[in-house]
Amino acid sequence: MEIELGFMWETFLVALSGIPVTLKLTFVTLLISTPLAFFMALGKLMDHKISSKVIGFYVSFVRGTPIVLQILFFYSLLPTALNYFFKNVLHSGYNVFAWNPIIYAYTVFSLNTIAVLSEVFRSALLTVNAGQLEAAMSIGETKFQAYTRIIIPQALVAALPNIGNTTVSLLKNTSLAYMMTVKDITALAKIEAAIGYNYIEAYLVILMIYVLLCTVVQLIFRFAENVLSVYKKRIEVIPCLK
Amino acid sequence: MLKITNIHKSFGNNQILKGVDLEVNKGEVIVVLGPSGSGKTTMLRCINFLERADQGSIEFDDIKTDFRVASQKTIRDIRKKSGFVFQNYNLFANKTALENVMEGLTVARGVPRKEAEERAKNALDRVGLKNRYDYYPSQLSGGQQQRVGIARAVALNPEVILFDEPTSALDPELVGEVLNVMKDLAESGATMVVVTHEMDFARDVASKVIFMDKGVIVEEGAPEEIFTHPKEERTAQFLKRILKEDYRADQDSDFPERDESLLAKVFGGGSGKKTYNWGVC
Repeated sequence: MEIELGFMWETFLVALSGIPVTLKLTFVTLLISTPLAFFMALGKLMDHKISSKVIGFYVSFVRGTPIVLQILFFYSLLPTALNYFFKNVLHSGYNVFAWNPIIYAYTVFSLNTIAVLSEVFRSALLTVNAGQLEAAMSIGETKFQAYTRIIIPQALVAALPNIGNTTVSLLKNTSLAYMMTVKDITALAKIEAAIGYNYIEAYLVILMIYVLLCTVVQLIFRFAENVLSVYKKRIEVIPCLK
Repeated sequence: MLKITNIHKSFGNNQILKGVDLEVNKGEVIVVLGPSGSGKTTMLRCINFLERADQGSIEFDDIKTDFRVASQKTIRDIRKKSGFVFQNYNLFANKTALENVMEGLTVARGVPRKEAEERAKNALDRVGLKNRYDYYPSQLSGGQQQRVGIARAVALNPEVILFDEPTSALDPELVGEVLNVMKDLAESGATMVVVTHEMDFARDVASKVIFMDKGVIVEEGAPEEIFTHPKEERTAQFLKRILKEDYRADQDSDFPERDESLLAKVFGGGSGKKTYNWGVC
């Protein structure tokens, strides 16, 4: 077997042009998921019977089904169902199939990320001890002030490593978007490869690109963690701790 | 000034407070003694609505309310008139000492930043932490953290400061510095209600001692009276037990046999005991 370096270079350039789509998939999904997951975590902690049951069911349903299956479901079944709904219930000529397939990608990835992040936020909120909430109330703050000024900032810092992990696995999961005809890194490389059956080269190329992207994301999160967790650091006096 | 009447509180089937009355006048230092589980802490927490009492009423200057029906607004008004010092300090971990003290001024009371900073610095100076303004709680020793906790309460100029066992989470060596700060406060005329096990503090600083047991106030009076001529049998027994333990700790000659593998490090607060241990690990 021979590896065609020329082809690899060309594919590399083509696949690079897919990076914006991959990043868009990742960050739009994060933007949609973070606030929703946060409120879901608060909802679960409030210990309201019905809401925490519903949230619990949602989380275990999404996390208990393969993402490929969810993609097949949303990408094949949902448009058909919507089309039926528009045609036969609303009697409108609206064409659901004209939607940009990236919408389905956002939907599937958001549903997954919300489920994961809600658990991340829930455990992070629990790491801040209740005593600080009491202290904030005792100096005359409202519950809202206590949460926004004391509890949530600390919870977010505690959640940062897990948010980083979630972002990395989300970024990797977006490679499945090719199943929904979204032209991300994976899709573009596969199209190139299909022309001359150079799959090995194409896979090597996108493997490198994903490694690079994930490393950058991890570095960014590590940097943010270092900056934001200043208050956790002790003054460094002992060299051996460094 | 502050008067609570007939306060009841249960946790599940466990009745902690069974009708306690307490009156606090301006300038008084009231020390509440009693065995653990007697309801001292719960009473204090009920006054500040950290725990919602099942029954009873509170009168604080011109605010009068039943514990059960107090609105969030009333609760906040009462909290703004009182300071609370916690057993575990409960400092805001994401804020420096100075920011911890300023928080109640700027956020809850709308004091301008500059004035708040001035007042916060004054409060920290008063508790002897002049050179620790910008330290985070994780960088302070237990005694220093508790002094920040006291400064946080004092800076708000409360009518009364409630102390919930302020020294029981501290290394024995650090208890003194906190008690000294509290003593200074008492001498400057602050009104205080102190739940503690520090008998010397009760004897020297209190203007009134209250003895609680099993959810009721058994006896109250001037410290010299309670300590020398307790009227109630339960008080006498409690004092005998506590004072005897104190005595025994002083006199104990019965040290366990020396174990060479155990190394005890006994130094002052902030001397680096813990840091040394982390270094070893």
